[in-house]
Amino acid sequence: MYGWTGHILRVNLSAKSHKKESFNEDFAKKWVGGRGFAVKILYDELKPGVDPLGPDNKFIVALGPIAGIPAPNTGKAVVAAKSPLTGFYGDGNLGTRVSEQLRKAGYDVLIVEGKADRPTMLYIEDDKVEFLPADEVWGQGTYATNDWIYGRYGKGVGVLNIGQGGENLNRYAVVRSLEGRAGGRPGMGAVMGSKLLKAIVVKGTKPIPQADPQAMKALGTGDLKKVQQIDKQTGWSIQSTTGVLSFCNEVAGLPVRNFRKTHHPDAWKIDGERLNAARIATYGCPNCTMRCGITIHDKEGHESELDYENIGLLGANLEIFDLPQVGSLNYLCDEYGLDTMSAGCVLSFYADAIDHGATSGDFKFGDAERAKELLRLAAHREGKLGNLLAEGSLRMAREFGRGSEAYAMQVKGLEVAAYNCKFIPGQALAFGVAAIGAHHREAWIITFEIKNTTRESYGPEKAAKVIELQRIRGGMFEFMVACRFPWIELGWPLENYPKYFNTATGLNWGLEDMWTTADRIYAMIKLHFLREFPDVTRKADFPPAVWFDPLNADTEGPIAGQVLDAEKYDGLLQHYYDQRGYDRRGIPTKETLKKLDLLREAAEAEKYAHLT
Amino acid sequence: MKIKIKMIGPLMYEAGFSEKEIEIPAATTADALIDLIKISRQRPKIVTRNGKAVAPGEPLEEGDKIAISPIYSGG
Repeated sequence: MYGWTGHILRVNLSAKSHKKESFNEDFAKKWVGGRGFAVKILYDELKPGVDPLGPDNKFIVALGPIAGIPAPNTGKAVVAAKSPLTGFYGDGNLGTRVSEQLRKAGYDVLIVEGKADRPTMLYIEDDKVEFLPADEVWGQGTYATNDWIYGRYGKGVGVLNIGQGGENLNRYAVVRSLEGRAGGRPGMGAVMGSKLLKAIVVKGTKPIPQADPQAMKALGTGDLKKVQQIDKQTGWSIQSTTGVLSFCNEVAGLPVRNFRKTHHPDAWKIDGERLNAARIATYGCPNCTMRCGITIHDKEGHESELDYENIGLLGANLEIFDLPQVGSLNYLCDEYGLDTMSAGCVLSFYADAIDHGATSGDFKFGDAERAKELLRLAAHREGKLGNLLAEGSLRMAREFGRGSEAYAMQVKGLEVAAYNCKFIPGQALAFGVAAIGAHHREAWIITFEIKNTTRESYGPEKAAKVIELQRIRGGMFEFMVACRFPWIELGWPLENYPKYFNTATGLNWGLEDMWTTADRIYAMIKLHFLREFPDVTRKADFPPAVWFDPLNADTEGPIAGQVLDAEKYDGLLQHYYDQRGYDRRGIPTKETLKKLDLLREAAEAEKYAHLT
Repeated sequence: MKIKIKMIGPLMYEAGFSEKEIEIPAATTADALIDLIKISRQRPKIVTRNGKAVAPGEPLEEGDKIAISPIYSGG
């Protein structure tokens, strides 16, 4: 078996023990890696009902057959666990040297079990595993923790760490790495925190097994240069992801004022042009030649690395159109280890709930200084308010009542990314059926809807596009494991990825094989969801109710008077289910599960819920 | 006739401006506008008028607010 190391490192923090386990080629070919490995292992090893913040949850770092090998853009790792935010399978990916170092240490997967008896740093160097005290940095932010680790081991090691958010079990705490990288939106940082696991440090010294290392090196490094050339020709990384803010503002798709508005005349003050002008540095992931992290000085003078989601949700959505102040909110989220997207939605929901009389408080849209204080409270769970804000918008809404759940901007508990779908039906579906909650990384079809179809359509072509993109973005890139940006942003041909896969593994897969694997993984995440929520209905795949509320329609601009139509959305959802082979609840049918070679997993699900 | 143009993302560096009002001949199409402002026709892009997509051969009208954007893919 080439491409995979064939090994899993299983670490138990309670027992301070570790074990090197092997997996065979059948397992490798069925689940490939990253999200595939993570969902299968968590399904097999976690009983439904396990407390996500208890010692029985497992934290997984999963890599794939091209992860860490020099090629476009492979410096990423998947982190996964049962989510404390959504209550079922959760994951995320982030740029980190762990992808290369863990593979060089001889592992494709790290499973962390149990709970340490004191703040701990896990140090892995090939076959050596050490449980080191981390009391010195417990209570510190991610920047100081990263520096502390670099001071001990140098900058070449792979690092995953958490800030105060993860330590204090904030439900949207993320895992952090390098200067500005973060991943695991549905509370993966809180899972580390619940285990008193402050950091994971990895160093490897072995070659990563590949079928044809020379060919892989020539192909991968050559293609990295080609991607760099395309980026230079197109100028994409001048503004990187932040250019899309102006587009969203033009087409009424920008989140403003807790998604109540879709555009704003001051949006230009925080757009890609202004951000590029304020740039003091640019950061990126390992094995990347199109670095996307535009870094500016925030209001207090810290370096703050921003992308579109940050300016969209910590800026426009809070009506804060002051770039250094947006930088400050972003810096604080990174320092505390909080997901910038959920944090932005939590704060906007709080301001909106005050506006609408669902709760009382002193926070108003546009108040950057108070927003900073609220982030501090949320990260530390300080006081009643800090504890509330740390719970995420859905739990806050259930506490507030008074109909506020309608404008808690989340799906399945995970807050919506920075695209306002008040009248963008296909993207609303993409959020509704995203595997882990309202994440943007799986399917994004706004330009397709506006350019290639009619915006008003709820037709099957939109469901088909969502599935196509889920297979590519939420599937292939998440199990290979690699960054999707060369393909989605620069048009780097998709066919190159099976080429990398085949050169690394010696197999002969095409894109169709990738899509089958992707469908299998999506079905598995659905089984996870079903096992945790056996009474699930299709309403779980609906976006926030406020997008269907005529009283919330824009009064001017491109979509004045229009909102999503609930009945038509239900029809669009059915197109998606029909094309996927899911039943009316949005659960794969037995026939679909059989086609995907998931009969054993289906039988396990049937112990807790019925399948059709 | 006068229209307003907004260039989005890296297209503003190719066009040499980010936003301006320009005078164009009546019934200029979206495609012809692309040539006028010297943006490559081959480069994938979306043209919107007052927030809605414009087909390449569609004539523009006095007072239109045109935005020209790369094909973003949502990060």
